[in-house]
Amino acid sequence: MLGPLGAALAVFVAATVAMVALRSASDAIAGVGETAPERVPFLGGHPPEMHAWSRFHARYYVMALLFLAFDMEMVFMYPWAVVFVREGGIALVEMGMFITILLVGVLYAWRERALRWA
Amino acid sequence: MRTYLAPGVAVASVAVVMAVGVYAVAVIDGIAGRLASGAGRIGVSVMLDPPRTVALLLMQRRHRTERADGPGWAIAPALLGGLAATALAVVPVARGTAVADPSTGFVVFATAIAFVMIAVFLHGWSPNSLFPLIGAYRYGAQALSLQIPFLLAMLATALPAESLAVMDIVEAQGDLWNVVRQPLGLPIYLVVGVGVSFWGPLNLPDGADLVGGTSAEDAGTDRLAWEFARAAMLFAVAAMGAAAFLGGWWGPLLPGPVWMALKTLCLLVVMVATRHLVARVRIEPFVVACWTMFIPLALVNIFVSGALLL
Amino acid sequence: MAGACAAVGLSAAARRAASRAPVPVFPVAGIGARREMDDLLVEPRLRIVDTPAAANVLLLAGEVPNALVAELALLHDGLSHPRTSLWWTLGAGVAPVIPFSVEVRDSDPSALVDAVVDAHRRLLTGELASSSPQLPDEDGAPWRGVGPYGQGGTGMTGGVPYGRPMAGVAPDRDGLRLDQLTVRIGPFFARFPTGLVLELRLQGDVVQEAQLVLPPSDVPTARVASTPFSDALHVPVRVSVLELERARSHLRSIASTLVSHQLGSLARRVLHLARQVRPGDDEEVERLHRVLRRSQILGWATSGVGHIASDRLEGTAAGPILRASGIARDERTDDPAYVGLGFEPIVHEGSDARARLAQRLAEARHSLELAGRAGDIDHDPESPLESPRGRLAADDLPAQRILPLIPALLAGMEWGDAVSTVVSLDLDTDEVLAMRATDSEFLVP
Repeated sequence: MLGPLGAALAVFVAATVAMVALRSASDAIAGVGETAPERVPFLGGHPPEMHAWSRFHARYYVMALLFLAFDMEMVFMYPWAVVFVREGGIALVEMGMFITILLVGVLYAWRERALRWA
Repeated sequence: MRTYLAPGVAVASVAVVMAVGVYAVAVIDGIAGRLASGAGRIGVSVMLDPPRTVALLLMQRRHRTERADGPGWAIAPALLGGLAATALAVVPVARGTAVADPSTGFVVFATAIAFVMIAVFLHGWSPNSLFPLIGAYRYGAQALSLQIPFLLAMLATALPAESLAVMDIVEAQGDLWNVVRQPLGLPIYLVVGVGVSFWGPLNLPDGADLVGGTSAEDAGTDRLAWEFARAAMLFAVAAMGAAAFLGGWWGPLLPGPVWMALKTLCLLVVMVATRHLVARVRIEPFVVACWTMFIPLALVNIFVSGALLL
Repeated sequence: MAGACAAVGLSAAARRAASRAPVPVFPVAGIGARREMDDLLVEPRLRIVDTPAAANVLLLAGEVPNALVAELALLHDGLSHPRTSLWWTLGAGVAPVIPFSVEVRDSDPSALVDAVVDAHRRLLTGELASSSPQLPDEDGAPWRGVGPYGQGGTGMTGGVPYGRPMAGVAPDRDGLRLDQLTVRIGPFFARFPTGLVLELRLQGDVVQEAQLVLPPSDVPTARVASTPFSDALHVPVRVSVLELERARSHLRSIASTLVSHQLGSLARRVLHLARQVRPGDDEEVERLHRVLRRSQILGWATSGVGHIASDRLEGTAAGPILRASGIARDERTDDPAYVGLGFEPIVHEGSDARARLAQRLAEARHSLELAGRAGDIDHDPESPLESPRGRLAADDLPAQRILPLIPALLAGMEWGDAVSTVVSLDLDTDEVLAMRATDSEFLVP
């Protein structure tokens, strides 16, 4: 009655809820309550001087832009894969052109050392 | 008419299969570890250690850190487990038998794989601790680089089937398995599968150099749920690999589900064993390898197999 | 009623099962205990973990200097309940300042494992109480806001939200000004030798600046454990014993490298070999080399990591590190005991972590071969001594010469590479624990 997507969604929700419940069940078994020193994040013995939450420098942000471009390409490739055999060679050529343009982008990023950051 | 099960039956069957799969991962991991360390004979303990460890973790108190993100910490392993269950749900076990077989099942699987990045990031962000945070951001780089080769390698299997439904993808392998038709696909898929489940050589978010990374502050059922979800994701990836590349239920003599189980087991052994055989990769060369090696190979795979279909 | 009985029976069964699981242990290697603690990795009944949150048992072996007591107490409190602490005395004279629940005086490793498993079992059944916190329940970073939910106050950056400051910005070579975290990676970081404290400035996962933190010079050095090499400074020791010990030390260092690259099973294999290797067994090491080549530990994992320029190594006499950079300097060439054996130093090119690993592997093989041929020759205390880490003399320890290299080496490195580099330097725990800050080059806590 829900359809196949509904069944998958039901599985997702049930699994998520079950694992949250499992996690909370341990509070009944193993107890709660920690002193302040017990809650200090582990750094090898010294307490931290500042919060870990910070504007972490995700140095791969340029690679993330490249990923966005390819992700949009994937959006087009999903329906392309379905109609490929029906459309024949022209589909191959058109997608080939699209991919080649994107690959030039990858080549540029590689040459510009966007994929390396340390 | 696409097949699916009623919600109650669906949840129950996925739960059972997931539990069996996670246990299988734990046992194979134990066996591979003992073989690699040359420990001599492998006793019954390798079968009994996983449930014993579960009992131990159930009795351990959950760890809290100062100023952590409580809801995020609770949701992260649950999200990973939910995604693994969803990914497993779209894998068919026999002709006309699947928990859920939407006409875009492949897209559902790809979405589940993509969202793993959110789960891992949440897991590393929540404790407000340095090593989990570094692990979370590192996985961002790893996951972004792995998405495209994954999608391209799997998309090639959709070409002969002319459909995005996983049942049709398996159906189209009746005469020839995809691993023979598209030889580059399965190796790339296995590497990506290991990477998405951050297992073994690609375990960068929970790495030893980060003394446990995103799991560094986990204890008790936090740790149990996370390890369970990770193993379940590995199992789901292996199951989809068996369906999409190794011909799913196709095979002589034995019934379809048995073949599915055997093929999944095969891929699972290969993926789990890498943990004891290969060192952890360095993130930068890995990102470069993904973009400059795996993507072109996956594209060659698609276009060559596409050209051969015409 | 039946339900309650079933619950009790089930929980007893669960406790029995849990007590048979591999015990999660967080090991702390004190003075003279590093070798024994590394060997615990092979024990199937223990699971050595990297963080205290994962552990139920804190295992201290040997003696930890008093300078590290505060950190040890914080570490102890970080363990998850139910928890207990064991002290493996290993001949240490002074008991640790914080109380340990169980004391094990037997130096036999299997006796220790039995004690740990038994203590864990008693912990789970309730006979042994979970160890109470060592530090008082005072918030180290108290914070009181203004509003009803504790929010508000004066400013964010420059303020102290939730007790601790936020990271401040700093310029970066990217041109972006993003946050820089200052952290002190402590004495009990699993990949570093005990006592090595690094004060780091991290931007993202790249180390911008690293500095060593050492106890001030007025803190007394504890007794140094005796090894064949420290004995060789005073009394004649057989060359075969020295070479066997050198091979074992190199193999243990390789096992430690394997663990840091997530190859724990192969590390167990290497530790097995280190325990049972005999003079003349160089074939075993050759076989090990073939196994390691396949695992890529000599490939992508260490290639190009932690490169040290040869001119930085001038005068450090740092043993395998020096010889892995192409400089063929070995104290054993000046030792008359080795002249008769036809000793030639082995050299590798590259001066990165891969070259150092290959160097130690080759030297282990070479040492076993020498030990097989050495017979009854003794090493004279007057001749120069080459320890597995470099030239060793009365007040001249290799760690004193290698540690100053670390700050310049780690600057600009990604975190994983930084850890691989420090592991590849193979610092001795006893020597690091004996270091004191003698000049302003090192930070004092």
